[in-house]
Amino acid sequence: MSLRVFRRVRVRWLGIAFILLWSLVPIYWTINTSLQSEAQAGSKPAHYLPPTPTVRNYSTLLGGSGEVSGQIRQSTANIFVECGAATLVTVVLSTLAAYAFARMTFRGRTALFYGVLATMAFPAYTTLIPLYRILGDFGLVNTYTGIVLVYVSGFLPLATWIMYNYLLTLPPAIEEAGLVDGASRLQVLRHVLLPLALPGIVSATVITFLFSWTQFLFPLVLSTDQSTEPLTVVIAALQGQHVVPSTLLSAAGVITIAVPAVIAVALNRYIVSGLVSGSVK
Amino acid sequence: MLSERRGVRGVVGVSLLSCLALVATACSGGGSAASTATRGVTINVALAIPSPPKASLAAFTKSTGITVHWTNIDWDSLQTKIAAAATAHTYFADATDVDWSRVGQLSKLKWFHPMQNYVDTKSLAADMPQMTSFTVGKEVVGVPFDASFLTTTVNKKMFADAGITAMPRTMAQYTADLRRIRSKGVVDHPLDIPFAAAEGLSTYWYQATAAFGGTVLDTHGRPRFTSPGSAGYKAAQWMVDAMRQGLVPPGNINTTDSQGTQTEMAKGTVASVFSDYSGNVGSLYDVPSSSTVVKQVGYLAPPGAGGPAPNLSNPDGIGIPQAAKYPVAAAKFIKWFTAADNQAAFAGLDGPDKTLRTYSLPSRLSAVHKLAAKGDLVGASAMSTMLASGTRPVFPGGAPSWYPQFSNAVYTNLHAAATGSLSVKGAIKAIAGTANRLASGS
Amino acid sequence: MTRPPLDTLPRTPQDTGADRDAAPGARRRRRFDPLPYLLVSPLALFIVALALVPAVFTIVESFFRVDALDPPTRFIGLGNFRSLLHSAAVRTAAGNTMLYVLIGVALSTVLGIVMAITLQHRFAGRSVLIAVLILPWALPGVVEGIVWSGIWDANSGLLNSVLTSLHLIDHYQTFLGHGRLETIALIELVQVWQITPLSALLVLASLQNIPHDLYEAAKLDGCSSWAAFRRVTLPLVRPGIAVAMVQAVIATLNVFDQPYVLNGAASTGSSVMAQTYFISFQNLDFGAGYALSLLVTAATLVLSFLVVKFVHRTVEF
Repeated sequence: MSLRVFRRVRVRWLGIAFILLWSLVPIYWTINTSLQSEAQAGSKPAHYLPPTPTVRNYSTLLGGSGEVSGQIRQSTANIFVECGAATLVTVVLSTLAAYAFARMTFRGRTALFYGVLATMAFPAYTTLIPLYRILGDFGLVNTYTGIVLVYVSGFLPLATWIMYNYLLTLPPAIEEAGLVDGASRLQVLRHVLLPLALPGIVSATVITFLFSWTQFLFPLVLSTDQSTEPLTVVIAALQGQHVVPSTLLSAAGVITIAVPAVIAVALNRYIVSGLVSGSVK
Repeated sequence: MLSERRGVRGVVGVSLLSCLALVATACSGGGSAASTATRGVTINVALAIPSPPKASLAAFTKSTGITVHWTNIDWDSLQTKIAAAATAHTYFADATDVDWSRVGQLSKLKWFHPMQNYVDTKSLAADMPQMTSFTVGKEVVGVPFDASFLTTTVNKKMFADAGITAMPRTMAQYTADLRRIRSKGVVDHPLDIPFAAAEGLSTYWYQATAAFGGTVLDTHGRPRFTSPGSAGYKAAQWMVDAMRQGLVPPGNINTTDSQGTQTEMAKGTVASVFSDYSGNVGSLYDVPSSSTVVKQVGYLAPPGAGGPAPNLSNPDGIGIPQAAKYPVAAAKFIKWFTAADNQAAFAGLDGPDKTLRTYSLPSRLSAVHKLAAKGDLVGASAMSTMLASGTRPVFPGGAPSWYPQFSNAVYTNLHAAATGSLSVKGAIKAIAGTANRLASGS
Repeated sequence: MTRPPLDTLPRTPQDTGADRDAAPGARRRRRFDPLPYLLVSPLALFIVALALVPAVFTIVESFFRVDALDPPTRFIGLGNFRSLLHSAAVRTAAGNTMLYVLIGVALSTVLGIVMAITLQHRFAGRSVLIAVLILPWALPGVVEGIVWSGIWDANSGLLNSVLTSLHLIDHYQTFLGHGRLETIALIELVQVWQITPLSALLVLASLQNIPHDLYEAAKLDGCSSWAAFRRVTLPLVRPGIAVAMVQAVIATLNVFDQPYVLNGAASTGSSVMAQTYFISFQNLDFGAGYALSLLVTAATLVLSFLVVKFVHRTVEF
């Protein structure tokens, strides 16, 4: 018996070590490279710690006057605008819809609900080409609006699903009390339900934001110049050119992953609950 | 009930507001019509080369009031961007690359403003022999800004270090010399071939095919490289063998031409680029800030089957896309960019400060003469010999309108052969199949 | 864009009330209530305009020649599908994608189960470990390509450095781009890095649904921990594994970012999605692009269905 407990604990330590190494080594290596000079990064064998840590790569990217740093700054602004706007619209619209699905009965409810959820089973890329051509006809290719519209349509079903599942966990009795007190349903939504549903809203917000941040193929197609290209597209272009030193590229990579990494670590509880909500029952 | 109505109005309001906001950004973002303004405007220029020196651009801004925002994108991505923006009728840049290989297609699709409406192309033509490559009927799709052609570059010091005294004149000698450089340990992998699946690999094969004494397509666009004895077949075999036998750095499987391989040559990790771009010695390998092999690299007439081979011409042009915001300002920039004095400066006439990195030979004869007269054309004697013997077009019958798909088949299959997942025979067969299908119009 | 599939029915407290139970007469007397329609209309509008309409476009126009270089648009029946089947590039990409799916689904499922079991029981620092676990899931695929290319770079990569120090290789190797299987495996490893966290979370969630007394019972029966895992845990987490595998199938069949960044246009590791991109946006042959994305969608649905059918078993406690 004691042997078995010992073995189980030892196996767990192996698992823990694996998770840590698996998740962190690649990220550590990128940060390590980004803190070295080009000559240091090229040395054989490699430096496992930066011999003379320097932030020059970061200051070049964020403060420099060169073409690359200009691109990085513009695309950082772009990605914040696009992800922020898409997240805001998605969360507002999905909360309203989820409230109707969770708490009201109306004609076409089941069909619409399933219809929306069914779009999640289809790979998003199915609609890439027609979206590009339709948005092109409306003059929306290479605009923030076009990209935001596509993101919202892509993430609405999941956000609605997360909000719907969260609202279901809240006891209807609380709202019924509010309704009895003479408040309208929207007042109840705003003053009673929304504060209680805050964890669900945070889940939907964080997950939508992270999904928008990781987008690549859609903005690659839908933005045609630097005015709308998000960081991910610019980074891939820099990687493809082979002229940007690996140290600078690593620094650009660290800048791109900093925001989602901080969010993921800080708000991981909401991500887990949102992603898992209702998927395993 | 009243409060519920107000709430309903609130929801409607929020929805309307968000729609309005979206429409507002839509209007500000796109769809603005072209402007003829030139003073105080900023134009976007997107080319596959670095920007001219800051001081030169500043001088242009001072004299015209036009600010230039420069974007340097690798050639392959740039072509995708041009096509994507043109099909969606969206703005992409005010002036951008017009490649000789796509002129037929571009004219058919009307993606660019006809240049003769903006620039006096007729009088320019006398000084720009390459203009014909950018003209279809009466329409000039773009103005050539260089007279680039393909040629061989060698690191003479490395050849000397390997004990090679006479420079190679035939492919057999050239290959033997490279083997010698490798076996003497001067460099591990002396030959630079950009084996990444990209346009530069196709271009390299065209030049190697010319070296083996042939052309890729006949005047009807049908393949001429299918038999094992043909020049195209031999060229493909030679390139792939060079990779397999270690003459080419193994990492080159992921390297493109203009950026990757030229950097390797400039860093002195390879001894020769068989199909390099004219002008690179002066504008790249001899520039101390970007090279460790200053004064070591020279041009060599491409070794051929039985003696020096012809050079293929590979000029680059610049044009104005239909969706340009400031076509008139863009035209002013193009005039400046292709002016004889500026081209001479880009090529190094006025010193390294005014040189445009990787710029090749001026497209204006008067600029070439100026450079040659002052003795500032690096490798002038070699270059002028090659120019005098005349460069040849890649496709004698002009580039077919289906060129992009053909080139795609060339580079993906040659790349696959280099990785060993296809035989040379299989690669040639696949490329020929594509060419036949495209030429027959199905 | 990975999304959990749906296998719960929407249930509302009022589901059995109002409309369904009320007598027909009563319903007629009720006032029309616009509020729910108002609440769902923006969602419906987005889904119809930006998902349904484009999907119909894809289906209809896959039977047309839609080519920016060869106008006008005209009906060609199954012509696009036929030319795709004859294209060597598409066939290679299809083979590559099969490898991506095989490697990706197998590896992410096994690693996901291992990680989930590590996290099954409470211990100090468990929540921190979950935060670390999620990290790769949250990062953009293109940047993950850059992150990992730093590890197997031919000139300065970590892998080359470590292997040389251990005297396993005598000079630096080019890992990516030469051998087809090797290239695909390495590219897919990057994607596995991205999708495994979600697999682990999904398996973990269903692990936590297992009543603890089942383990006690197994222990009383004298099961070893391996036997308990095989006889109790594995059968009961099947639903979680099925969902995890479905998300992996969707992600790997549609893989684009990682091959695009690490492999470019080369056929060595080109995926079907990369071919769709090149056909549509480089060759501007949109009709063929439609047809190919339709085939990918069909493959995704069929494969997801098969996974659900064979892995997912209804579990009752």
